[in-house]
Amino acid sequence: MSESKPIIEFKDVTFWYGQNETEPALKNINLTIHEGDYVALLGLNGAGKTTLQLCINGVVPNNILGNFEGQVIVDGKDTLETPVREMAKIVGMVFDNPEFQLSQMSVGEEIALGMESLGYSYEEMVETIDEVLDIVGLQGLTERSPFGLSGGQQQRLSIASALAMRPKILVMDEPTSNVDPIGKEEIFQVAYELNRKRNMTVIMAEHEVEVMAQYANLVVVMHEGEIVLQGTPEEVFSNVDLLKSLGLRMPQVAAFGNELEKLGIMTLNGHYPVKLSQAVETYGRLFEKKAG
Amino acid sequence: MQGVVIPISMVPGDSIIHRINPLPKLAWAFGVLVISFATRNPLILSTLFVVGVILILVAQVGNAYLKVAMILFPISLTLIVLQSIAPAFPKPWTPIVSVGPFTIFQEGIYSGISMLLRIFAMTTWAMLMIMTSHPSDIFTSLQKIGMPYVLNFILTMTLQLLPILQNEFAVVLNAQKSRAMKGSGFGAILPSMVPVFVGAIERVQQLSISLESRAFGSSGHKTSYRRVRMTFWDILLIVLGIVFTAGMTYWIIVDKSLDWSETMVFHPAFAIGLVVFATLGFLAFVVIALRNVLQA
Ligand SMILES: Nc1ncnc2c1ncn2[C@@H]1O[C@H](COP(=O)(O)OP(=O)(O)O)[C@@H](O)[C@H]1O
Ligand SMILES: [Mg+2]
Repeated sequence: MSESKPIIEFKDVTFWYGQNETEPALKNINLTIHEGDYVALLGLNGAGKTTLQLCINGVVPNNILGNFEGQVIVDGKDTLETPVREMAKIVGMVFDNPEFQLSQMSVGEEIALGMESLGYSYEEMVETIDEVLDIVGLQGLTERSPFGLSGGQQQRLSIASALAMRPKILVMDEPTSNVDPIGKEEIFQVAYELNRKRNMTVIMAEHEVEVMAQYANLVVVMHEGEIVLQGTPEEVFSNVDLLKSLGLRMPQVAAFGNELEKLGIMTLNGHYPVKLSQAVETYGRLFEKKAG
Repeated sequence: MQGVVIPISMVPGDSIIHRINPLPKLAWAFGVLVISFATRNPLILSTLFVVGVILILVAQVGNAYLKVAMILFPISLTLIVLQSIAPAFPKPWTPIVSVGPFTIFQEGIYSGISMLLRIFAMTTWAMLMIMTSHPSDIFTSLQKIGMPYVLNFILTMTLQLLPILQNEFAVVLNAQKSRAMKGSGFGAILPSMVPVFVGAIERVQQLSISLESRAFGSSGHKTSYRRVRMTFWDILLIVLGIVFTAGMTYWIIVDKSLDWSETMVFHPAFAIGLVVFATLGFLAFVVIALRNVLQA
């Protein structure tokens, strides 16, 4: 992560939705995201996750007007000076409600929508549609109605629609919150593969901490418009008391370590395992001791 | 809710008519509309209607058409009732027969019959066009001849949104039922409109952000993924449609003998029979429709 170059930089960003709002939705945000990062955005409802994500493609403040201070640089472009349609070629967005992002009669037309706006040739569109459907695992559904798909499929279609413009960054705002468990799994899998196999930068707001601890290399915790913690999952989830006071959950394996520590069974000095594989290794030591 | 809303949409198929480009179909449907408004002549109108029905059968969309016709027919019957006692004709009217306080007029029966035929001629051809063309193809072809891209999008989205809102409406009604609120009848409909309406606004806001994020609404050259073929035959059909419409309209305007309002004389028994049939037909429809709405 440290070798790759920064792709998103928030510099002292503060944003108020209305001129009359006293409390800003974003407060002094400084954040650097590198190419190929998988970023987990955590925080309660209203913490500012969506607002922060909308800054990445410039919808805030170009389309959603408000009082904006600071600067967001994405892939070398200042979002204040770049039209959102230009940003669409760099940043793909997926939102929480799958149905609310769809409007077309067929899956093919849904994916083509952005490409049509950018003047892609017919041949290019057909080729791209096949390619992105393949990536999200919806091969052969080109002629189907988007509204006849399951929630998980719809959300993967939204991903495919974003991918059609070949972005480097995929921003996902609680993409699994309206999807059944199987659909959730499929969406996480697609995001994971895009990140690992295609080096796509993924920024995901998500409440499933276990999954985020598994996949993300950077965890950003927001509270009332501010970034209160950022670092690797291991670093962030060592702050048990702070997270608790913010009302946020820990990955269960980390919470387990914290409990063991309180009971005096194990001393971890805050180095809680956050992934299942780490937990097996760490807690396995307990049993080795007993056996030995 | 299912019974209340009439689905008017494409009936998939592979007939000759399905394979025609939407534009010639649109041109003919529009031509029939123009002619139907230009004349009251029952023979011309019924000929257009019959030819339309034959084409509906050729296209094998008869079942879907019948569903629409079965709703349209009883509603149009009111025209006969209203026209017979108050014709849309310059006075003086020629009375045929008096029943109690009502007088049935010659011009009224003539006008009622021709209006009914006019409605059926127009809608049959419009249905033919709609039921044999993919909506996206209709919009894309219209876009090719100058309809703005954004209008194409709005039309597409509206078509998509209607069944969804209808569905949400049903969900809200059911939710109200399960909370022991009124779940049926007209009293339940108004309170369920509010959440559906609020939901629709939220949906549109979210959709607009999603669309902007996908470069929608960019200025500059746009392309179309949907391709609609236009063959020599399609162009010929359009030209024929225009010539036919212009020719018919010209004939109708010039040839005064096509006005049969004086010459087509109705027997009093026929007049009474027709009005009674129309009244009963319409009332029966209203009763059935109300029962459906109240039970849904
Ligand atoms: N369109 C809007 N207009 C006004 N205030 C908004 C709007 N969207 C969000 N907010 C406010 O901004 C703050 C951050 O919201 P949001 O970014 O949606 O948080 P999150 O995504 O973490 O739930 C909240 O206080 C919310 O009420
Ligand atoms: Mg949010």
